[in-house]
Amino acid sequence: MSAPSDNMPIPAPAVRSKPLVIRHLPYFIGAAILVALAANMRFDGYVHNILLQATTFSIAVFGLSVVLGLCGQINLAQAAFFGLGAYAVGIGTTDLHVSFWLCLVGGCLISLLAGAFLGMSTLRLGGHYLAMVTISFQQIVTLVMINAIWLTHGPDGVSNIKRPDLFQTSQSYLAFCVAMLAIVGYLVWHLSDTKLGRAMRAVRDNELAAGVNGIDVFRTKIYAFALCALLGGLAGGLFAGGFAYVSPDQFSFAESIVFLTMSLLGGVASPIGSAIGTGLLILIPEWLRFLKSVPGLYLAIYGLFVILIIRFMPDGIWGFVADAFTRWRAKLAAPPVAGALQLKPAMTGGDTVLEVTGLSKYFGGLKAVDGVDIAVKRGGVHALIGPNGSGKTTTLNVLSGLYQATSGRIVLDGTDITDMPPHQRTASGLGRTFQNIRLFRSMTALENVEIGAERPGNTMVGKGDDALTERAMEALTFVGLGSRANELISSFSYGHQRLIEIARALASNPTLLLLDEPAAGLNSTEKLELHELLKRIAAQGLTILIIDHDMTLVSEAAQHITVLNFGRRIADGESMAVLRHPDVVSAYLGSE
Amino acid sequence: MRLTRRDFAAGIAAGIAAPYIIKSANAQGATIKIGMCAPVTGPAAESGGYAIKGAKLALEAVNKAGGILGKQGELIVEDDQTTNPGIVLAFSKLASQPDIVGFLGSIRSTQVHAMAPDVIKLGKPVMIGGTDPKLTHMDNQWLFRFRPNDSYSGRVIAEFGVNTLGKKKWAVLHSTDAFGTAGGNALTGALEKLGCTTFDQGYANQSQDFTPVVLAIKQSGAEILGSYFTFENDLGIFARQLRQLGVNIPWVGSPSIVNITALKLAGPALYNTYGVADYAEDSSEGSKAFGKIYRDAVKVAPDNQSSWTFDAINVLSAAINKAGSTEPAKIREAILAIKKFPGAEGEYNFDQNGDGLHGYNIVKNEKGKIVFDKHIEFND
Amino acid sequence: MDLALQLLFTGIGIGAVYALVALGFVLIFRATNVVNFAQGEFSMVAAYLMVVAVEAGLPYWAAFIVALLGMALLGVVFNLGVYYPLRHRTYLPVIIATIGASILLANSVLAIYGPQPQVLEGWFETPGIQVGPVYLDSQYLLIICVTICLVIFNFWFFEKTLLGKKLQATSQDKEMASLLGISVSTMIMITFIYSAVLGGLAGILVAPVLFVSIQMGSTIALKAFAATIIGGFGDVAGAIIGGLALGVIETFGAAYISVPYKDGFAFLVLVAFLIFRPQGIFGERVAEKA
Repeated sequence: MSAPSDNMPIPAPAVRSKPLVIRHLPYFIGAAILVALAANMRFDGYVHNILLQATTFSIAVFGLSVVLGLCGQINLAQAAFFGLGAYAVGIGTTDLHVSFWLCLVGGCLISLLAGAFLGMSTLRLGGHYLAMVTISFQQIVTLVMINAIWLTHGPDGVSNIKRPDLFQTSQSYLAFCVAMLAIVGYLVWHLSDTKLGRAMRAVRDNELAAGVNGIDVFRTKIYAFALCALLGGLAGGLFAGGFAYVSPDQFSFAESIVFLTMSLLGGVASPIGSAIGTGLLILIPEWLRFLKSVPGLYLAIYGLFVILIIRFMPDGIWGFVADAFTRWRAKLAAPPVAGALQLKPAMTGGDTVLEVTGLSKYFGGLKAVDGVDIAVKRGGVHALIGPNGSGKTTTLNVLSGLYQATSGRIVLDGTDITDMPPHQRTASGLGRTFQNIRLFRSMTALENVEIGAERPGNTMVGKGDDALTERAMEALTFVGLGSRANELISSFSYGHQRLIEIARALASNPTLLLLDEPAAGLNSTEKLELHELLKRIAAQGLTILIIDHDMTLVSEAAQHITVLNFGRRIADGESMAVLRHPDVVSAYLGSE
Repeated sequence: MRLTRRDFAAGIAAGIAAPYIIKSANAQGATIKIGMCAPVTGPAAESGGYAIKGAKLALEAVNKAGGILGKQGELIVEDDQTTNPGIVLAFSKLASQPDIVGFLGSIRSTQVHAMAPDVIKLGKPVMIGGTDPKLTHMDNQWLFRFRPNDSYSGRVIAEFGVNTLGKKKWAVLHSTDAFGTAGGNALTGALEKLGCTTFDQGYANQSQDFTPVVLAIKQSGAEILGSYFTFENDLGIFARQLRQLGVNIPWVGSPSIVNITALKLAGPALYNTYGVADYAEDSSEGSKAFGKIYRDAVKVAPDNQSSWTFDAINVLSAAINKAGSTEPAKIREAILAIKKFPGAEGEYNFDQNGDGLHGYNIVKNEKGKIVFDKHIEFND
Repeated sequence: MDLALQLLFTGIGIGAVYALVALGFVLIFRATNVVNFAQGEFSMVAAYLMVVAVEAGLPYWAAFIVALLGMALLGVVFNLGVYYPLRHRTYLPVIIATIGASILLANSVLAIYGPQPQVLEGWFETPGIQVGPVYLDSQYLLIICVTICLVIFNFWFFEKTLLGKKLQATSQDKEMASLLGISVSTMIMITFIYSAVLGGLAGILVAPVLFVSIQMGSTIALKAFAATIIGGFGDVAGAIIGGLALGVIETFGAAYISVPYKDGFAFLVLVAFLIFRPQGIFGERVAEKA
């Protein structure tokens, strides 16, 4: 099940110039000030409790910002993971007399494993199933907490939970939690800029495109889910130490919903949003106590707000603020000048880059592709044409692995890729674009192309983020959009989005480039530019397999043409000869 | 809806700012303040309302009779949302007001457990209604209990069933929550001491069906049923199914069996059952007096949700007056010194653990009317 | 054996309740591809409407009609207020909005009506009949009968009537349906109304057994949700079978394994299904869309 993109803009990262530590120095200074404040300011017990709760909850909500915000997966069991961490510290420090630190790490590990296991069992399925499984997990954890009295003390809960010796006073413990919050917040904030973070965002924006750009979608989701669970466990452990008492009702399904709402209110996509949301949702109930005279009224308003936020502030409060800021900043930051793009397609196999033999794809009784052979020679442009419904796009989808072939064999540059999932085919050197453009819509042009450049096995990009950016800039400059690298996808015209998609594929330095109707929806000027671009690509020795209706483009650009009709190959050979072939003429004239 | 995102943002901003403005309008007076954590929202909101009324009625009477140390008493209520984190926050909010001299905690044991560490930290007397025996046996000298604890309810149920009704083969049914488990254990323990055989069965709260439970009780061949139910709708469903499936053995239940809501829900299915009740209107003069005041003011039959807070305020005020000071340690001594104090729940004789009551009333459901049967008191 | 028969009857009775609510889930899911987390609250609201109507002095049948009309109205409001503005977004915001709606509905009723559980009389004077060793609760008998009737009605409605076919076409392919001149938004509106009425019917039927309380909807809905997945998401027959199976499994699990963990069985079965047979009993596709 694919999750179509839902626009959730994320602040675009500034282009890297200074070392990371220096650029982020203000953050660390700010964090240090907060920790110092927490350690030295005098709070009364009430404010202290509120702050401790807000701090530990925020860490758990950071987890949601990873799984929900970055990766677009739902988790309705964050309170259960929170509870696992809390009980690990609770039971560990009291009944088992283990040190706090060991318990904290243990709790994190238990949560991590539970999250990974849960993810592995269900993340192949879509969102509703995940929602349901996480609810089930939540219910089972709650039941065990209540009923396994020998382990958890049942509904009485665990009291007199110990804190580490180093942070015995509540003031120092709060400072410690704030420090943890700052560290975790930094990591989560920075995560979206790493390879894994980009992969998560790509999966969220467009699973299909992520897959064909070399991202292992399933594994990325599991990482996100496990990370979320880990943060939940950590937060729970800190919570247990802070409040010295845990009981099952603190980790119920209702609490999971509260976590989710916190995340949404602040903005799912960023840790700052998470912190804002958590703070507000802990404080608002305190502020709104004047509504308490009527039972239920407060929660009813709460429910109403959830609906209104989703409706009017899909990106949460922080997203709302950050959105304006990003647009303003993207215009200011000038992208670096890039060198010329080098394409060096791998050459391990023989003269034929792509060898397709007897390829068939049946949907039930429908033979969409039936025993097709295609041989694409190295270098130059090969076109696959045919009337509507002839099986072209199905063929392309089978080639890139979105569909499993019913029978037949696909060999790419000497490697049999017939049974590989999409991301492995990409790793083997296959690049593609889509007829209906599939870009990661919440990212900038540069980030989109960076994901392409990150293809495993890309020999054209050096180590480190800077090399990645350089490669991506080269590719963008190659298609003529280098100067607009830091703009969000939504600000580009349709034709330019198509060029970005091609740049994304080029940055990965593929062995074979599949273009699915690249001229569709382009005006005549854009078509000319596209033609020029194809020539320049072919000039670097990259083999292109193109599918298109546009006969002018195909006849001018392609040296070799294969024609499909009703799922079968009806002609194959040198362009001019094929186009004059009587079967081809009748197939086209007959259908139009 | 022609609401734009900007309008909505402005609305939120206004909504967040408003409470601050309202809050700053609060003024202070020369009163003796008593804090109270009560479930104003959440699943126990209904009983929370009764508890607050009980406390307010007591305070009105105290104020009419001259107040506390010559000043008027004032009740400050914080919502504990019927949750553990809720009561921790509510209590810490009250605790941060230095002029509050004493507190009323919760009738729910888990909530008292949750707030207990903060109570020790604060070091001021807290009146509680939670009946888990452990609460007054865990080195927390600031908790004072205004209901008999579950070790007594278990012993009273056992005593009554064995010695008055003459049954030795028991089925014990209890909720698996804190209250039910503690109660079930106390009852089973007391029955074992009396040489009875027991069939023990737990159930999870909010069950929609009790057929398996009823059939298990039927098969166990028990002659009498003892029960600890937490929620009235569970009790109602069980009672009906018990009768439908033809189990008509005597049944002695924990206080929830005589609760007004349970009577309304289960109807005839609860006729002729017995319940232990810490509050029974006809059990003593004090109970009758409270019943009259409460009925006049609230127009609802009184029950233990309101009687314990009523007593707690009376005892606390009396103790402060006797101590002549609002110093926590002196109040504590004064409370522990209270003997033969007639309250709505019964006669208070505080022991060194902070338990004020040591016995229960047995009441009978006669065609939907709750009738006082006898009082069983223990001295240890 | 007697024991097992009694358990079977209760299991099927409870299962029929799950099935009715599950049906509402499935219909909305098929039409909108969205799971409605407020489906349980529909049942709760209907039960309260019924209590209010009966207390206002209406005869039982009139109160029943008023309550169902109220539910139809709620379906309209729900669609316009929760689903419709989000229809072009992904499933995630919609799910969360329905969760918000469920909190809103439950607590609005709490604010208006207070937390006391209420009693609603059953349809019949006699509480039940003894057939051999088995006691048949009259209300459960009614629930089972209504479930059977609804299965037949749904089959007739979706397979034999034009409106039913239009609804089916919409749930299978919205674009195609709109090309055929079917108003997709009207069809979705009808689906929400129908689901709300179905959920309401379940609530009214089960209220005499479980009493009327704020929590009644959410506890049933979670189980019904599990039933939906066990039966195969998006399959009407699957929802019914899944609901009945869940009720029976739960009752027997409680009787023969553990009463306190009764609620856990439903979810264990569910997780097992998700891991080993995610398409459910009836093998609904777990769609891959290119």
